[in-house]
Amino acid sequence: MRCMHITSGLLSIVGAAFLFGTVHALVIDPIDISKVDLNTDGDVKGGRNNPSDPPVGPVDTTPETDTGSGEPPVDPPVSEPPVEIEVSDAILDAPVPEGTLTLRQAHKLWEDGAYFIDARHEHEFEEGHIQYAAWLASSLFDTDSDRAFSIANSMPPESTVVIYCVGGECDASHNVARRLAQIGFTDLRIMGVGYTDWVAAGFPTEEGSAP
Amino acid sequence: MNKNAIPQTSMIESILLQLPLRLFLGAVFVFAAYNKIPAIQSFAEAIKGFQVIDSETHPELIIIGAFVIPWFELLAGLMLILGLRARSAALGIGALLGVFIYALLYVIFTDVSADCSCFGDENFICGSSVGWCQVIRNIVFLIPATYLVLRGPGRVSIDQIMSKPDQNPDSYAYHPESLSNPVDADASRA
Repeated sequence: MRCMHITSGLLSIVGAAFLFGTVHALVIDPIDISKVDLNTDGDVKGGRNNPSDPPVGPVDTTPETDTGSGEPPVDPPVSEPPVEIEVSDAILDAPVPEGTLTLRQAHKLWEDGAYFIDARHEHEFEEGHIQYAAWLASSLFDTDSDRAFSIANSMPPESTVVIYCVGGECDASHNVARRLAQIGFTDLRIMGVGYTDWVAAGFPTEEGSAP
Repeated sequence: MNKNAIPQTSMIESILLQLPLRLFLGAVFVFAAYNKIPAIQSFAEAIKGFQVIDSETHPELIIIGAFVIPWFELLAGLMLILGLRARSAALGIGALLGVFIYALLYVIFTDVSADCSCFGDENFICGSSVGWCQVIRNIVFLIPATYLVLRGPGRVSIDQIMSKPDQNPDSYAYHPESLSNPVDADASRA
């Protein structure tokens, strides 16, 4: 009998949670966990190399770690030519989930001046991120929507935006892509590899706080 | 026999163990719900990120879970704090912790990179990425939940107040002062 009493109490809590959840679902905007249509072609539209869109794009693939405030670095001295990085094809063309970018494709877009969005946690971004990337986590749209929209609005909606997260089967970049698609971004791409692979390849990174 | 009977514990145990454990566990779950309820979209994305449920074939399960789990946490947490149907609430929290532990282990052993989102955007004890820390934390939380299911909410609880006095073992105790009450004696003489 005592077990019955506890079980009935538990069912009451579950029932009440369903009731409150249903009411909650009715009063807020529908939530969306569908996949976003991603672009995988090689063209860059309205990237950050556009003269009106600072910061300027990268000029070489020199591995560097800028410990400054995230400002674009000054041109390197003429006497010190950029060091060419030997990255194996196996790393650059490592298999990625369908519809996402290989490291080679992502790096090409970066060189061409596409916008890069870091979808990891803010502290991870501050510890190091792809050079010129901006931080924008999906949860920011819920917790600080003004800041999220401010970051999103700093990029033209038709521009090419590459989103990345930790790597592997991480879902954070897909979540950010969905949010950006909802507000009108049309050329969204996702790095099938993650930040750790970018670092392992020796491509440029920098440290600095999020805007 | 009282089917609603709650285990009788001493006042010392109630105050030193049951009440603090109820308040702690209840507060943890209210805090978790407080951070999830305003950000249901993020929580749904977090559930999807665990990949325990196939979002292609059963997206509705993820959406239902995203709406129901935070409210369950809030209700169970509040009931535990108040000591109202506290054993049921503790059992529910224990079951939820079991589900969470399973999901965390699934993420760890399948090498999926996922965010815990256990407390929304906030962290409690552990970091944001899923790891063994969250598993151990949830196992630790299971200890007070199990204790409260077995021992009940204690004397400082609504459950105790609402238990019927005539079915409370204490009410059968012999109280000689009630027999020597002069008012009762006068009434019986009249």
